Order: sequence, then structure tokens, then C-alpha cells
Amino acid sequence: MGHFPRLLGYLKPYKKRVMLAVTLLLCITFTPIVLPKLIAYTVDTALPRRDVHALTAVFLAIIGLYAFRGVVSFWLNFTIGWLGQRVVFDLRFQSYRHLNRLSLAYYDSRQTGKIMARLMGDIDFIQQMISGGFVTFLADMLSVAAILAVLFSMQWRLALVAVAGIPFYVINFKLFIRHIRPLSMELRERWDAMLGVLQEKLAGIAVVKAFAREEYEVERFVHTVRENFDIGMKQMRLNRKLGANAQIIRAAFTGIVLWYGGALILRRQMQIGDLLAFNALVNQLYDPAVRIVDFNVTVQWTIAAMDRVFETLDTLPEIVDDSGAIPVRQMNGRVEFEHVTFGYEKGQPVLHDINLKVEPGEVIAIVGPSGAGKTTLVNLIARFYEPAQGRILIDEYELKKVRLESIRRQISIVSQESLLFSVTLRENIRYGFHDASDLQVLQAAKHADMHDFIMSLPYGYDTKIGEEGIKLSVGQKQRMSIARAAITDPRILILDDATSALDSKTEANVQAALEYLMRGRTSFVIAHRLSTIMNADRIVVLDQGRIVEIGTHEELVAAPGVYQTLYNEQFRSAQEQQGIQALLA
Amino acid sequence: MRNFLRFLKEVRTYWRLLCIIACLTLVTSAASLPPPYLIKILTDSLLPSAIQQHKPTHLPQIFLAYVLLASLGALAGYWLTYSITLLGQRFKMDMRRKLYAHMQTLSLGFFEKSQTGKLMSNITNDVATLDQLISGGFVNVLQDSVTLIAVLFLLFHLDWKLALAALSVYPVYVLNYLVFIGRIKNTSADVREQREIIYGDLQEKLAGVQVVKSYARERSEVRAFSGETRSLLSLNVRANTLSTALWTLAEFIGAIGTAILLWYGGMQVMRGQETVGTLMAFYGYIGGYLYQPTLRMIQLNDQIARTNAALWRIFLTLDTQPTVSDTPQAKPLPTIQGNVSYNDVWFEYQQGQPVIKGVNLKVKAGEMIALVGPSGSGKTTMVNLLQRHYDVTEGSICIDGHDLRAITLSSLRRQVGVVIQETMLFNTTIRENLRYGRLDATDEEIEEAAAIANIAHVIQAMPRGYNTRLGEDGVKLSGGEKQRIAIARAVLANPRILILDEATSALDSETEALIQEALDRLMAGRTSFVIAHRLSTIVKADKIVVMERGMIRETGSHAELLTQGGIYAELYNQQFKAALEAQHEAAAVQAAEAG
Repeated sequence: MGHFPRLLGYLKPYKKRVMLAVTLLLCITFTPIVLPKLIAYTVDTALPRRDVHALTAVFLAIIGLYAFRGVVSFWLNFTIGWLGQRVVFDLRFQSYRHLNRLSLAYYDSRQTGKIMARLMGDIDFIQQMISGGFVTFLADMLSVAAILAVLFSMQWRLALVAVAGIPFYVINFKLFIRHIRPLSMELRERWDAMLGVLQEKLAGIAVVKAFAREEYEVERFVHTVRENFDIGMKQMRLNRKLGANAQIIRAAFTGIVLWYGGALILRRQMQIGDLLAFNALVNQLYDPAVRIVDFNVTVQWTIAAMDRVFETLDTLPEIVDDSGAIPVRQMNGRVEFEHVTFGYEKGQPVLHDINLKVEPGEVIAIVGPSGAGKTTLVNLIARFYEPAQGRILIDEYELKKVRLESIRRQISIVSQESLLFSVTLRENIRYGFHDASDLQVLQAAKHADMHDFIMSLPYGYDTKIGEEGIKLSVGQKQRMSIARAAITDPRILILDDATSALDSKTEANVQAALEYLMRGRTSFVIAHRLSTIMNADRIVVLDQGRIVEIGTHEELVAAPGVYQTLYNEQFRSAQEQQGIQALLA
Repeated sequence: MRNFLRFLKEVRTYWRLLCIIACLTLVTSAASLPPPYLIKILTDSLLPSAIQQHKPTHLPQIFLAYVLLASLGALAGYWLTYSITLLGQRFKMDMRRKLYAHMQTLSLGFFEKSQTGKLMSNITNDVATLDQLISGGFVNVLQDSVTLIAVLFLLFHLDWKLALAALSVYPVYVLNYLVFIGRIKNTSADVREQREIIYGDLQEKLAGVQVVKSYARERSEVRAFSGETRSLLSLNVRANTLSTALWTLAEFIGAIGTAILLWYGGMQVMRGQETVGTLMAFYGYIGGYLYQPTLRMIQLNDQIARTNAALWRIFLTLDTQPTVSDTPQAKPLPTIQGNVSYNDVWFEYQQGQPVIKGVNLKVKAGEMIALVGPSGSGKTTMVNLLQRHYDVTEGSICIDGHDLRAITLSSLRRQVGVVIQETMLFNTTIRENLRYGRLDATDEEIEEAAAIANIAHVIQAMPRGYNTRLGEDGVKLSGGEKQRIAIARAVLANPRILILDEATSALDSETEALIQEALDRLMAGRTSFVIAHRLSTIVKADKIVVMERGMIRETGSHAELLTQGGIYAELYNQQFKAALEAQHEAAAVQAAEAG
């Protein structure tokens, strides 16, 4: 319940509109009571007296009443709708802005789908609660109170009899809904599970076919669908039973009211018009009563949704600029690690006591088995994470004490998985540098050996990629992300296995582009293929989070160690064959 | 329309249920009609004038009628809903099975052309749309038309002048609906579109958050998002305003109708031409039995349009013929040795663009073949043809002398194992994933296979061992680990012919070395086809096949090809040039030191 006042806080800027909505709501609740009373007046007074003026008055009253009701309810609904949408907008905007502030560590432990569900589904639910649930609850309470007051003032004994039906109605609902809701939930879960299986097996159809498992898969699918079928039928049966009981309860009590009311009329304690009005009013009590009783469930769901949304908003970004952080305008590109220790989870350090000094313009190759901490090391340079101990300096500034944005704009990363966005090729390249001219885009594409391919497309640089556009091969994607990095003219360049997906011919082309790109910039290169990194100024060998060797290729290969082993393994067969070749020659 | 007729044919299977539904509909409609008429009887008998004349009042009878009608309505309603749900669920189940089973028979080419999401929506959404028409639209229309006709008949029968007066606003009511609903639909479509734009954008930017952060583009992303959400806000407000206007006006028009009814009916009563009870019955019927059914019938139009689109997509899938299927006289392939021959094979994905051009290749049982060549040269197509994911355009492929087209697909694929570049594992336990290779494998066999693929120690180190779930809510495996599980899966299948398509590309050299020996063990005694970019992994092949633009350019062992000095030698030198040079230097340094 703690988040409820906080949600109300989102309504505060729109206090006037909220007040307006409440006032309009008060104006409108009494209108449904008037029509039955007017009919009672017609039947009991106007008609027996043959009073044409009274009849005309009733005619005008109905039109006037509904004209009034129309204007007020339109205004009310508009105001409420606007309020709901506005709060959604504010919440969503705030959440998204906050999500962009959160560090990578937040995303590592969460699935994109779940974050999206919060941003879209949960916030929508809150909106429904504001414009739907809340208002309906308020309106229901008011109209139930008003109707009860009118009923008891008209004929308190008949009112007692009529109201007696409502507890039965509510209890019937409560009894069944307790069993129906879990079924609905189960149905949804099963449905999701079915979608999951479908998605997986259709995306992985190559595996299904490779193992000739088509029949098995169809059988399993039918089984899942049948389970859904059974639960769906069960749920329907409960639903209908609830409905049937409700129908009978209402009819029975209408019958009783008419019977007892009729008896009262015969005793001249009531008039027929009043009985008709009475009957109409009682019928307006049942559904609001159920909604009021069920309101706490809606509240619970909303609170759950709010909890999730506010949890996101309350997560503190791990990496924020200090209040005194200064922007670094033009850096030279010196990087220094001083006793840096880092782990993604406490007590499990991935990097131990890293010391490394890199001069501007140096090319550093980082080598080591998978899990050695290579990617982590370069991620620390871009300050995606904060070292647990020690510090990182760029030029003479401590990374922690400068404006994050100013640093990242001067660092470019080309990573293993090339993530491109579903926009045009031009916009993708320009993502690195918003103000780049078309000529700069073209040059960047040329450096990445993409220009010729792009020009061969009918729409050239304006070709869209992704769902609606063309599909790029893994190699083309990688070259696109190289072009994107090239256009930023970074001082520090990080290549994280950037050429792993390219075949050797393309790699040779791209390699030239990369070498051009690295010229004059501090570069960190991670690669498995030793042939791509032998030109580095220095090679850093990482093993289990520690730097075990540093030196040039010649130095490292000459001394026994991790690098020599790695090198020999990869090239053993090459060496053997070289021997054969020498013999043949 | 043709689709529609075909759809009706599909529905015809359920004619028995449909008849029951029609009968029950009549019963429920009939049971819902009398209450306003009961009110008429009650009112007329309880008017002051009637009481003075001591007319009979029928109070207990009216009470009983209410209860009995409600019970009848509830009972019939229960069975009606039951039958409708049964019909809908049956239809959905049968349709989904049909679609999914059909998709499974389709060849790989079909799936490469269609997006998974679209196929899924075929099975889920499109089928649900059809069901909505059957169990929603049709049944409602039946019920509504019965009710409408009965009520109109009753009203005109009671007093046709009063009926005309009461119905005077009816056309305006419908018109109001028609005027607004078009705009509302357009706005809702805009809302949906805008939501999808935001959704897609969000999905991409959240999944690619690392890129956003690397380029320090957070602020501009937030700005863009704010713009898109603001458009959504105004669209939503517009949609809300339109529908509020529609229903507010509708209520007002209805109220005018009531006012006219009361006034004109009241005059009639005063003139003694009508009873108060009839007036009240009119009031009840007009308010509760006319407007909703009319609107629902108008809505059916839409539903049919939507269904048509869904029908078209469903039949499109069902009408797609598998390009590869068993011929009627196909025989199961007996246990094979593994001799493979490509005899003048031509193949094209699209007519006139051959991808494989006259390939001849003979492979003896147990041989290891390495396929080498630039990307796009047809290596993967070669092995896809061997698994018969596609049929050759010309020529033939034979295994042990059996033409692939003369044997059943499943018997072929059971004996051909594949480990592909993009490892596809399923979101279930590791054990289940491994067992996919052979459904009846025992736990011991599974563990043995894992050991062969050098993955057993990794699995055992996990807290739940072989019962660890992969994917979504389970552990995440590295690329190399996934690959090794895929290899273990192939080991279990124990195929006679093995295809490795870039199977070791995601492994670092240390892991690769580990796995290479596993693969060597696996390949021993089996015919194997290996595609790899790394030459070091394939120098051991018995035969290296160098492909270029769909043709075999060179065939021979590593040593033979190097001495030929052709494409292979060039590839080899390119990849290893630097290594070789460094090797030379190192040797020279060592020699100098020694000297």
C-alpha cells in the first residue's frame, strides 16, 4: 500500500483537473435515479389525472436531464481519459529516462522482455486503474448510497426485501471467482508456454528436421493444445455456473419484489408507478455491489504493477557523474590501470590487481583463453562498470572524476555481436556521430569496405535494415559497426573480436581498414586469431583475471609461457605442413 | 469469397454442434423476451382503476414466471455456452494441429523465407480470429436476429402507432454509430501502429543498450522516446474523446426516444386508446432489446473482413506444398555404410540462378571430406542437399547406391547427423536437449556422449547437473559450451554420415583443441563432411574439396593441393602468411643465438 500515495503524487501537478473530475462525478451520479422517478410520476400522477401539461413537463424533463447528463459525462470522461494518459506519459518518460541512466550491470541481470513489460504493460495497467477502476469505484459507491437512500425513503419494508437479494448475489460471485481466477492464470501461463515451444521449434526447425523429429513435435504440440482445451472448458463451465446462478437470484428477487410490492399496492400502501421505479432502481444495485466487493483485487493487481514500476525507478544507477565532474574536451588517449580489481558479483573478482600503462597511439592486443577477463578489461575503460578497487586514469584524469558522456564520445567500441538498429544504413553509420555529413558517412563506409555493397543496393545508403528491410550477413553487420565506429573519430578504439565472423578474404580487406582506423589512436584489440594481432605494439596476455605476460610478439613467442603455448597450438599443424612443403621443395 | 466457402466446408464437420447451438439459441432468446410483458400484466392489474374493479392480479403467477423463465434461460444458456465453447475450442485445436503438422512437413526453404513470428501468428492469432467469428459473431447474429424480429413483431402487434413513435429515433441512433465508428477505427489503428513503433524501438534500444551507452546517446534516445510517447498520448486522447462522444450521444438519442414514447404513449393512455401496462412494456423492450443487438449486427461486417484476411493467410500456409517429400514408392533406407556420390549435381534456389553447377564427387565410407571455399561458394548447399533439405535440380545424389529421392526422408535423416554453426538448443533441461539426438537413450548413454564431447565436467559442475534448465530462466552457456552440447547430441544420434558446418568456429583455441580430439573420435569410422574457415582444423581431411561459385575447382589431400599451387594454396598462404613469417624470424633468432 506504500506506493499508493506515491502514485497519487503523480496526479498532483494536475490537481485542478482532478478536482474538476470529482465535481463532475458528483453531478452525474444522481441522474440514473431521476428517470425511474419521472416514470413513476407519469404513471401515478400525470396519467390518472389526465394532465397533459404534466406529461409535457415529463417529456421536457427527460430531454433536459439527458442533455445535462450528456454534457457532464462527456466532460468527465474526457478529463479522466486525459488524466490517465497524461500520468502514463509521465511515468513512461520518467522510467525510460531512468533506464538510460542505469549502468550496464542492471541490464546484465535482466531480460529485455521483462523490462519492456514494465514499461508498457504495467504502466498501461496503472492507467486503466486510474481512468477505469478508481473512477468506477467512486461512482459505484456514490450511486449505491444514493439508490439505497431513495429506496428506503420510498418504502422501507420493500427496500429491505429487495436488498436481501444482494448478499446472495455477491456471495455467489465470490465463491466462483475464487476458482475461476487461478484457472485464468493457468490458462495464460499455458498459453505462454505454448507460444514459447512454438517459437523455439519453428526457429529451430533445422534441428527438428536434422533429427527427423517432425512427428514427435506435432504430437507434443497437440498435447499442449489439448491441455489448453481442457482448462478452457473447465473455466467456461465455472463461468457459466456463476452466470446462471446470478441470473436466477436476480429473477427470483425481482419476482419477490413485484409480488410483495403488488401486495402492498393492493393494501393501498404503495402505487404501481413507485413499484416500477423501485424495480428499476434495485436492478441498478447488483453490478455495482459486486464491483465494490471485488475492488480490492483490482487494487492488489495495481499495487503489484506499481511495485514493479517503482522498483525500476528506485534502482540507483551505479555509475553517475560526481557533482564536480569535469568534461574532458580533447583527450590524448593515455590509459592507465592502477591496481584495478573488479568483479560482477561480490567476492568473485574477474580481474585481479591489473596494472597497465598505455601511451597515446599504442596498439595493445589482449589475448587469453575465454573467461580470462578480456572483455571486462575493455569495458572498464569505457566505464560501463566501476572498479571495486584501484583506479583508471585517462590522460591525467581519474575516470571517476570526469563527465561520463565526454569520455564515451571519444571512445569507440566494435564488439563481437554487431548490434544495428532497424533504420537506414546511413542512420546506422551516423549513430556514432550525429552531425556527420553524407560525405563522412560515405568515407566511413569505404574504410569498412562496405561502400561497394551499399551502392549495389537499389536504395543505396537509404536502404532500411531489419524486419522491414534487407538482412545483412554477420560479416556485413560487423563491417557496418566498424563504419559506425570509424565515423566518430575516437581517441581510443576498442575492437572486441571485431573480425571473428569474417572469412579470411573479407578479413584481409577489413584488416586494412582497421589498421587505417587505428593509426594515431590508442587501440585495444581482442582477438582469437593470432594472425590478426601480431602487428600490435604490445600484447597483454590475460589468464584468470591477471596479466601474466606483456610484450611484443617476438618477445613473447621466444619465452616459454601462456602466449607461446597458445601460439604453438594454433600453428602446430601449419608448422608441420611447412616442414612437408620444405621437403617437397 | 472462395476462401469463405472453403472455410464453411471446414466448419461443416461440426454440423451437429451447430444444430444444437441453433436450437438452444432459440430457447434462450424466447426465455429472455417475456419479462417486459409480465410488467404490462402486472401494471394493468394494479392500476387504481383496476383495483377498484377488483380485477385479478396474478401476483404469485408472475413471481413463478420470473423464476421459471430465469431457470430455463440459465439452463439453456449454460448448455448454449458449453456448446459454443466446445465448438470454438475444437475448431481451434483441429485447425492448429492441422497447421502445425503441415508446417512440419514443409521443407527448410519455406522457413528460410518466412519469419518465425509470422508463422506463429498464423497458428495463434489467425486461428483465434476465425474462432471469434464462429463462436462470437455467428452465434450472436443468430441470437440477435431472433430477438430483433420477435421484439419488432410484438411491438407492432401491440400498437403499431406507438411502435412507430418509439422507433422514430432508431435510425438516428444507428447513423450516429456509423458516423463515429469509422473515425474510431482509424484512430485505434493509428494507436496500434504507434504502439508498435514504440515497442519495436524500445526492444531494439534496450537490447542494444551497450551501443547506446558506448556512443553516449542516452539523452537523444530519451528525447526521441519522449516525442513518440507524446504522439501516443495525443492519439489515445483522441480515441478516448471520439468514443466518449459516440456513447454520450447514443445515450442522449436513446433518452429522446424514451421521452417521445412516454409523451405520445401518455397521450394515448389519456385518450383511453392504450393501457399504462403496454406503455411500460414498450419502455422495457425499447431500452433493453433493440439497440445492442443492432450494433452487434453492424459489427459483424468488420469481423468478416478481419476473418477474410486471416483465412487467406491460413490457406496460404496450408496450400504450400513441401518441395521435398516422400514419393509413394519411397522405401526406408537400410543401415548404410556411408558411400556418398554426387553425380553431375545441379541445383538452383531460384530458377535460372544455379548455385551448384555440375558437381561430381565420390566419397568412400569412412572418409573425411573438408569443404573449403569463399563464402557463397556453395559449401552449405552441398551438405543441405545431402540431407535432402532440397532436391537436386539435375543429376543425383546417392548413398550406398540409393538415390536420395527414392528413400524416405526420416530414414535418411536418422543416419545423417549435423552440427551447425548457429547452435540451436531448446529451453529445457540439458538431459532433454541431449536426448533429442535419440529419444530412447538411457541416462548412461547420455553421460557417455557428454564425455565424448568434452562437456561432461561442465555439466557436472552445475548445481543441478543434467537437470539444469537452459535458456530464459536457466543458465546461460558460452558459445563453446553450446557447441559441445550440440556435438554430444549428434554423438547420441550415432549417425553413419556426419556433417560439421563451422562446428568449432565459436571456440577459442584451447577449447577447440579439447574438442577436436572428441570430433576425431566421433568421425572415426564415419563418413564426414567438414566445413570450416580455419585451415588448421581441416588439414587432416582425407580429401579437401575446394569450391568456388558452385563448382569444384580442386580435390585432393592437403599436401597435394599445396604443391598444385592453386586456390587452396593461396587461401592457405593468406591465412598463415604472417604466422609463417614470424616463424621464420623466430627460427632465425634461435639459429643466431645457437650460432
